[in-house]
Amino acid sequence: MRLPAGVILAAFAAALTGCKVSPPGKIERATVTFVKHHIFIGNKSQKNPLEPNAATWADGKEAFSHYCVACHGMDGQNTGVPFADHISPPIPSLTSDEVQRYSDGQLKEILDNGIWPSGMPGSKGTLSDDELWAIVVFIRHLPPAGSQGIPEMYNH
Amino acid sequence: MKRNETLMGALAAGLITIGFPGHVVKAQGAPRQVEVTAKRFAYAPGEITLKKGQPVVLIIKSEDVAHGLRFRELNLNAKVDKGGSAQLSFIPDKTGDFVGHCSVFCGSGHGAMSLTLHVVE
Repeated sequence: MRLPAGVILAAFAAALTGCKVSPPGKIERATVTFVKHHIFIGNKSQKNPLEPNAATWADGKEAFSHYCVACHGMDGQNTGVPFADHISPPIPSLTSDEVQRYSDGQLKEILDNGIWPSGMPGSKGTLSDDELWAIVVFIRHLPPAGSQGIPEMYNH
Repeated sequence: MKRNETLMGALAAGLITIGFPGHVVKAQGAPRQVEVTAKRFAYAPGEITLKKGQPVVLIIKSEDVAHGLRFRELNLNAKVDKGGSAQLSFIPDKTGDFVGHCSVFCGSGHGAMSLTLHVVE
């Protein structure tokens, strides 16, 4: 027995509405944040082997500018990133409490392996350990929002 | 009095000239030259054994894009233009293994591009 085309089309449309992405609510966000901080993201106790000085900060800023700015902006606060609020989950500002409450080791873990199933990718192999630890220093001392301009790729 | 001053001066000059043992690594002869090619995403050779105290010049040649070579622990960093070359001259003053990384972002495998120096007695 064959289904009428109308039924197939209606089922397809219904399935598509199930794919609609909506921003996470307060409870959803709080739950996921708790789970990430206490269960999913390990490496809590590892210490940053690099000195948090001006030279390391500059190294971190440089490394950040190659790979991270596409989603996080030059300032780590999404400045000039056109889709920052339109994906789910939205890209957090790296100055936010949600991010800053991670330990250095957890930030390194996230930089290495990303956060599944969010859009945050891992950078292990793409950037060296040194560069990733330097980025952790940069994240701890981000420049003022908007002070670094817009990423080159969004300037056209 | 004047003789004492002269003697003290000579002694100080002598100490400055010969250096303080334990704080100075004496260079041993002419610099050893080692050619290193850099090509995404590896250095060739990937490991080099050096002698402590022997001056060395690493001649880094890029076979493709811009690269760099940085040894954070040794405070050394060189940048090489696309298809160009650069030199790192130094005297290894401590033994051990030192891992250098590419210091100019060169693509998806940049972070895995490393060269190890084995410095021996």
